[in-house]
Amino acid sequence: MPPLHLVWRNLTKRKARFLLTAGSLAIAIFLLCLLRSLVVALDAGVKAAAADRLIVQSKVSLFVYLPQSYGPKIASVEGVERVMRWNWFGGYYQDPSNFFAQFACDQDELQAIYPEIQLVDGEWDDFLRDRKACIVGEATASKYGFKVGDSVPIIGALFPKTDGTTWDFRVAGIYKSIKKNVDDATLFFHYKYLENALDSGEGSGPAGVGIFVVKMAPGSDRTEVMSRIDALFEQGPQVVQTTTEAEFQAQFVSMIGNVPLFVSSIGGGVMVAILLAALNTMLMAAREQTRDIGVLKALGFGDGVVAGVLLWQSLALCACGGGAGILLAAATEDPVAKMLGTVFPGYEVTSATLWAAAGATLFVGLVAGVGPALRARGLSVIDALRRTG
Amino acid sequence: MAFVPFSYNLRSLVVRRTATLLTVLGIGATVAVLAGVLALQQGFATLFVENGRDDVVVFLRQGSTNEGDSVFSLERAQILMKTLPDIERPVDGPPLVSAEMYLAVRREKVGGGETNVPIRGVQQGTFRILGDDIRLLEGRAFAPGVDEVVVGSKLADRIADCRVGDTLVLNTTPFKVVGMFDHSGPFKSEIWGDRDRLAEALERPVFNRVIAKLKDGADLADLKERMESDPQVPCKVMTEREYLGSQTTAFSFVLRVLGAFLAAIMGVAAVFTATNTMLAALAARTNEIGILLSLGFKPWAIFASFLFESLVLGLLGGVVGCLMALPLNGVDTGAMNFQTFTEVAFAFRVTPEVMVVAVSFSLLLGLLGGALPAARAASLRPTQALRRD
Repeated sequence: MPPLHLVWRNLTKRKARFLLTAGSLAIAIFLLCLLRSLVVALDAGVKAAAADRLIVQSKVSLFVYLPQSYGPKIASVEGVERVMRWNWFGGYYQDPSNFFAQFACDQDELQAIYPEIQLVDGEWDDFLRDRKACIVGEATASKYGFKVGDSVPIIGALFPKTDGTTWDFRVAGIYKSIKKNVDDATLFFHYKYLENALDSGEGSGPAGVGIFVVKMAPGSDRTEVMSRIDALFEQGPQVVQTTTEAEFQAQFVSMIGNVPLFVSSIGGGVMVAILLAALNTMLMAAREQTRDIGVLKALGFGDGVVAGVLLWQSLALCACGGGAGILLAAATEDPVAKMLGTVFPGYEVTSATLWAAAGATLFVGLVAGVGPALRARGLSVIDALRRTG
Repeated sequence: MAFVPFSYNLRSLVVRRTATLLTVLGIGATVAVLAGVLALQQGFATLFVENGRDDVVVFLRQGSTNEGDSVFSLERAQILMKTLPDIERPVDGPPLVSAEMYLAVRREKVGGGETNVPIRGVQQGTFRILGDDIRLLEGRAFAPGVDEVVVGSKLADRIADCRVGDTLVLNTTPFKVVGMFDHSGPFKSEIWGDRDRLAEALERPVFNRVIAKLKDGADLADLKERMESDPQVPCKVMTEREYLGSQTTAFSFVLRVLGAFLAAIMGVAAVFTATNTMLAALAARTNEIGILLSLGFKPWAIFASFLFESLVLGLLGGVVGCLMALPLNGVDTGAMNFQTFTEVAFAFRVTPEVMVVAVSFSLLLGLLGGALPAARAASLRPTQALRRD
């Protein structure tokens, strides 16, 4: 172990350089954490998916609707406890840029099938009683200032109102999800409201069901229930594919395609940049300390100690910078999540991300320190002492 | 008015070549990330915008933003096609107008996973309108009224069952792949077949858009205005170029924001590195500055000299960054078109604009990185500088 106070003195000898290098490391490590957290957010829904829920969707396309008649047929399948219709509404609040998801779903089934949805304000009964009621996620509610009792006007892009007006939903509750598979940004309303409006001609749009969400009876075999449902509609009119909730979520990640690769390439660029920054600083430091190294060696310190001083200097530098970056990433988790908010829910700086960042920091510290350390080890006392500046 | 000779700075960059190299590479990595993101944006945007025609108009349902959520009933499409006077109607042939069906279908990727591939049911009119823009590369065109499709050239290697001779099952109907076609724009990522056959197989008895070639001298602005308030078929009219351009705005915006965000964050780190390097240069040359000052060079000349050196560092970094990004040019990639939720294949394009932005950015990094050291150098007094070791 080299004398640590010497390591620290060397490190802070040039304060500006120390702060600038540590600062750029901090920024870069923070950026790495942020990028990784974005990729993690893509997968969050997959990881938290419930095992007893199945999704029945069209095998042909995300945009193909299933006949209403499928509902009772699915409900009668052995192993199916509950079935809920679920339609993407695709509207927006005031302006298309105010994006949050709205879903029409069978109001009586929602609470039973999605126990993770917990009201933090308002009453379930109130939601169930009023045909035009809705519940809104906490994130969306706070972003747009929706309160229980407010009326939320939504412009139907996919389901336009015939008279050109907005769909008005009364907020009966604000919810918070206790798991990541449901975000806190969605607005849920009565399927019946949409259905009646389409029947009466009050609104227009696709008449079928987007997806059916199935809750399995306890103890039933998942694979069997899935193939029983698929078999029902093998001959059409619309072929379905029944998947677990995890697979359903995973398909969206797969459809986004190259994004994880793209983010990794950026991460690679960031790593290169910080590696160079740390290396640059360590080489400059090592050159300036050449005479000190000579003095240490002349005093009888071994090659190992002398090399250690430089290696530890590099590690300490990176620990300061990287550590600050990691702290920054952890501390900004909530504000960043809030900023990404309703558009990109699920941002979370996991401990795995922080550990990966710590690993990257250590790697940079070692790589930047090894060169100068080896050089110091190999220097002869005479050469080292002769050098100036 | 005497500048410190520029050769002095260039030589000192060579003398301190390790630090120069590391700094240049660090700036280069930052610039390369920015250039890469911009090249992605350029590739995506030009694929759409440059291949849209001004003499072809697209009719969408009012209020819809893309052909995925636009719908025309058979009657409404017929009215459009039969009655509009602005459409080119050759005396010796059918009018240049076509109603199309569009659906993003779920397909397996070659490497596993699912993605959304646009499938377009076209009438023969589409081929008459687009003419040579659609080029058959292999096999033959599909026969009208038969369960056959042709596939875009970018699908063969990415999507399962998309080679000539394969059979593609849509819902319950098998379609034979009889040809492969090319197009300079986004059509090369699509599957095309006979609209009536596809509509029946997919149970979609509607059209999604109508396209037409404008008659010579037709007044586009007038047509747009007329159709907006048309009593029978109110619809949104855009030229093909405008339509394709509108498809890129969301993704281009995301990429620009991402590019700017990464550039800002990584840029701060790069500025820190450059400042470090310049501070070290200053420390090593304090003596020389003393000499320069005693020779009669003014402080502003010293300031300019250091800033120049830093700008050279930035410029070199910019050039290196462009060189690092250049191999990306022409590399095929895929990305999600958020509007229709389908995957589009395109190539990165490192355009001159991208390089100009990249190099300007690198000069800015050099300028910012050099400002503090240059100011410090300029504030030295000759005696003080000469005395320093």
